[in-house]
Amino acid sequence: MRRRVFAAAFVVAAVSSISIFAPRGGRFEVLAQEKAATSEVKIDNFSFSPATLTVAAGTTVTWTNRDDIPHTVVSTDDPRAFKSKVLDTDEKFSFTFSKPGTYSYFCSVHPKMTGKVVVQ
Amino acid sequence: MNPFDPRTVLFAKHAQHVVLIHFPIALFLAGVLFDFLGKWTRNAVLETTAYFNLLFAAISVVPVLATGLLAWQWALEGQKLKGVLLLHLIFGWLSALLIWTVWLLHRRARRNQSSRSAYLLGLESVAVVVVAITGHLGGFLSGVNGPN
Repeated sequence: MRRRVFAAAFVVAAVSSISIFAPRGGRFEVLAQEKAATSEVKIDNFSFSPATLTVAAGTTVTWTNRDDIPHTVVSTDDPRAFKSKVLDTDEKFSFTFSKPGTYSYFCSVHPKMTGKVVVQ
Repeated sequence: MNPFDPRTVLFAKHAQHVVLIHFPIALFLAGVLFDFLGKWTRNAVLETTAYFNLLFAAISVVPVLATGLLAWQWALEGQKLKGVLLLHLIFGWLSALLIWTVWLLHRRARRNQSSRSAYLLGLESVAVVVVAITGHLGGFLSGVNGPN
């Protein structure tokens, strides 16, 4: 009886240790969730937040204007990689970054507002 | 593009409004100041200076209104009029009407050789406040009044 109890306890401990020290696949899932969570850029108080965002290639980044003032999201590249319309309060603009590189952008209404998306 | 290329000025979309707005503000404030000083010191030269400042302020309001409306249509792509944008537009028109009214009353007083009544100085004071509010709201739209 005692042996069975020890065996059961061992199995439970082994299973839980496997789930705690999860293989790389599990960690990747967590990282992927983090990446997805940071693919949003908030426009507020005349600034892009985060000012520099690092994402994996293929990520769609969404900018949301939380300011009371209209803003735009315009790439500084020539030719322009992306250009939003003028975003009113709570309006969004999304762009999918398929190629790795550094994409700088600014608000064409308020050029001192700048940001960067680093695509890895 | 070369900064001295005329296209940088002609096609700058919203830049003209932000530049031109300084003229009526400065001329009107200076005009009111000279008018107060002229009335206080009873100096005719100061009163004449005030009149011409107010005249040029009234004239310079016209291109400012035009470029302001163009900025709304071009730079802001005809954004819905609400919030700061709507307030700026309302106060902008109110400022223009007050500047024109003040100048017209000065003109009438000069033509009739009559002394201006105290209500004109009161109206000028109100106009200064309205112009200041308009400028403050405009500063927010252009980002000048935003955080550094």
